[in-house]
Amino acid sequence: MSSAKVEMIFQGNGVSPGLVVGQALKLGSHNRAILKIQLAHENLVEEEVLRFEEAVRVSREQLLLLKAQLEEKVGREHAFILDVHLLMLEDRSLHAEIVENIRRYRANAEWAVCQATDRILRAYESLEDEYFRERRSDIESAVDRILINLSGGKGVGWKSVSGDLIIVSHRFDPSAFAAFDVEKVKGLALESGGRTSHTAIIARAMGLPAVMGIPDFLPHVSSGDTLLLNGDDGQLIVNPSPARIESLRARIDQFRAAAEPAAASTMASLATTDGTLICLQANTEFPHEVAAVKRSGAEGIGLFRSEFIFIGHPHGYPSMEEQAEIYRKLVEAMTPHSVAIRTLDTGADKSLPDDDAVISSNSNMGLRGIRASLLHQADFCTQIEAILRASSSGKVEIVLPMVTTIQEIREAKTLIERVLIDTGMGQTSYALGAMIEIPAAVLSLETLAREVDFLCVGTNDLVQYLLAVDRGNPQVAHLFQPLHPAVLRCLAYITDVCKRAQKRVRVCGEISANPFYAVLLLGMGFTNLSMNPLAVPVIRKVISDMALADARAIAEKALTLITAQEIADYLVESVTPRISLDLTPFVKEIRDPNGHGFPQRSS
Amino acid sequence: MIKLTVLVKNKLGLHARAAAKLVRLASSFTSNIYLSRVGANQQIDSKSILGILMLAVAQGTPLIVSIDGRDEIEAGKALQKLFEQNFGEEN
Repeated sequence: MSSAKVEMIFQGNGVSPGLVVGQALKLGSHNRAILKIQLAHENLVEEEVLRFEEAVRVSREQLLLLKAQLEEKVGREHAFILDVHLLMLEDRSLHAEIVENIRRYRANAEWAVCQATDRILRAYESLEDEYFRERRSDIESAVDRILINLSGGKGVGWKSVSGDLIIVSHRFDPSAFAAFDVEKVKGLALESGGRTSHTAIIARAMGLPAVMGIPDFLPHVSSGDTLLLNGDDGQLIVNPSPARIESLRARIDQFRAAAEPAAASTMASLATTDGTLICLQANTEFPHEVAAVKRSGAEGIGLFRSEFIFIGHPHGYPSMEEQAEIYRKLVEAMTPHSVAIRTLDTGADKSLPDDDAVISSNSNMGLRGIRASLLHQADFCTQIEAILRASSSGKVEIVLPMVTTIQEIREAKTLIERVLIDTGMGQTSYALGAMIEIPAAVLSLETLAREVDFLCVGTNDLVQYLLAVDRGNPQVAHLFQPLHPAVLRCLAYITDVCKRAQKRVRVCGEISANPFYAVLLLGMGFTNLSMNPLAVPVIRKVISDMALADARAIAEKALTLITAQEIADYLVESVTPRISLDLTPFVKEIRDPNGHGFPQRSS
Repeated sequence: MIKLTVLVKNKLGLHARAAAKLVRLASSFTSNIYLSRVGANQQIDSKSILGILMLAVAQGTPLIVSIDGRDEIEAGKALQKLFEQNFGEEN
C-alpha cells in the first residue's frame, strides 16, 4: 500500500550477534523516544495540556530545591545556572509553542515538547558564537527535566508502542536498559560505541543483536522505518526490500527460534570427559533475567550486578524492603543454587544521578565499589540488611567489588556484623567474597584470601587495570587484550594461590563466554565460570567435549607463548579439533577482541 | 510606546547570567518589552530567555528596547539602569 522507500545500507561494527527485522524506534539525545501518539479523543487535548503544565510545575519545584542545595554547597555565584534553567523551562514562547503543538496536532505532550525543542536547538546550532551555541546543553538539560517528569522518570512510554522494535540512537547508556521492555526491543543500532562498551556487553548478555559505530546514519532513519539489522557482520539496512527480507527469512527465523527457550537437556551436572565436575553460572543485571538463567542450564547466579536496580529506580535509592523483595525473588527462583549479589558498584559508564556532584576524569580509578560503600555506610548497611533478609529464602553470597586492601574487607565485615546484631539476625549465615579485579588485590591474594570465603575474578576490569587500557577509548582499545601473556600469568597465579589457600574461586567476566578462553581457564584450574546466560549452552557443550588433561596441556603451552596473537592462534589450532561444535563464530572474538586487529609493526 | 537605545558593555555580552537578570526584571512589568538589533526587523521578547540568548549579543552591541504598556515609563527607567550598571557585574 505505501509507496516503496529507498533501501539504504549502512556499515558499522557487529557487537552482538543475530539477525532481526523490526521497526525503528528513534531516541532523542537523552535516550528518549520522540514518538508521536495521536490522542484518541478531542477531549483529551486539554488534559494533555494540563499534564504538560503539571510537569513544568514539578520541574520548577525540583529546580528550586536543587538551586537551594547548590547555593548552600558552592555559593550563589555558581548556582545561577539553575536560575537560567528555571527561566528556560518557564519560557513563555517555548511554552506557547508546545501547547500549540499539542492542540494543533492532537499529539502527546512528550512529542510536542521534543518537536518545539528540536526547532529551537536547530536555530541555536546555526549561531556563530560558540558561547551562545553551547547554550544548547542548558536547553536540553532543562527540557529533559520536563520530559522526565512527564513520563514519570521512565525513558520511553513502552506501553504505547507495539511490535518488534530496533532502537536507533547516537548513544545508549547502559542505565537506559533498566527502563527497557525486553519483550518489545529486538535490536540496537548506534552511531557511537564499540565491542567492549558496557552497552555492548549488556546487549550480548540480553541476546540482543547490536551494531555500533555506524557513522552518520541517524538523519536517514525515522521512527517507524523498517530495519534489517545484522549483528554478525555489522550491517544495517534501512527500508529493506521485501525480496531481501524474504531471502534472509530462514536465517531470521533461525535466530528467533534460538532466542526461544532452549530444550532442557541441560539439567544434569556438567563434567569434562575425564570426570572433573565444572560449575557454570550466570552473570545477570536484571531480576527479570532469571527465566533466561534457568533456561540456560546455569547452576545459579555467579554475579548479580546490583547497581542496575539502583540506576533504574525512579527515586534513586530503593528502600531496604524493596531491595529485600528483589533479592528474595532472585534467591527463591534459583533455589537450590546460590545467588552471588555484588554490592553497589557504580563508576565507569554506569553512574547514578547523585554522582554528578564529583566529575572525575577517570572514574574507573575513582570512588567506586567498596570505596564508595565505606564512605556511604548507611546505604551499604541498607543493602547488606536486604541481602541478609533474602538469605532466609535460599543460598546467598555477598561479593564486595573493587577491593584493594585487606582493611576494606575488614571494615566491610565489621559493618555486616553490626547489621546482623542491630537487626537481630545474629544467627544468619552468609558467604562473603571479594572481587579480584585490581592488580594489587592479585598480588596480595595470599593474605586477602584469608579474610573471605571465596573469590570472584572480574576479568573485564582486571584486564583493563593490568594493561592500563581504557576500553572505551578508541585510540587504545586495540591494546585491550585478554590474551596478553601478563593476563594469563595473573590468572594462573590466582588459581595457584586459591588452591593452596583452599578457597573457592570463580571467574566472572566476558572472556569465559568464549569457548577458547573457557578451555584455557579450565586448563589453568578454574572449575567455576560465570558468564552471560546465553553463552552457557555453548560452553556447556565445549566442556563436555573436553578432557581436563588436554585442557591442562593447552594452558601450559599457552603460558609459554609470548604474544597475544600467538596465544590466540595456538588456542584456535589446538581447541577446534577437540570440539564437536563449529567454533568459527568465536575465532574473531579472541583474535581481534575490539574489532581493530592486533597492531601491526610497520618494519 | 517608548523606544530607547542601550549599549551592552559586559565583557561576555548578553550572556546567560545577564540574560536571566534581564528576563526577571522585564517580567516584573506588565508592558510588552522587545529587543532588537539596530537596523534589524526581528524583535525579541525580552521576557523569553531562549529568545535573548539566541540573539547572541556580543560586547559593544547597541540594542533598541521597545516598551509598550501601562508601566512603560518605569520599565524603561529600570531597564536603562540595568544596562548602564553592567547587570551588576564587575565588567
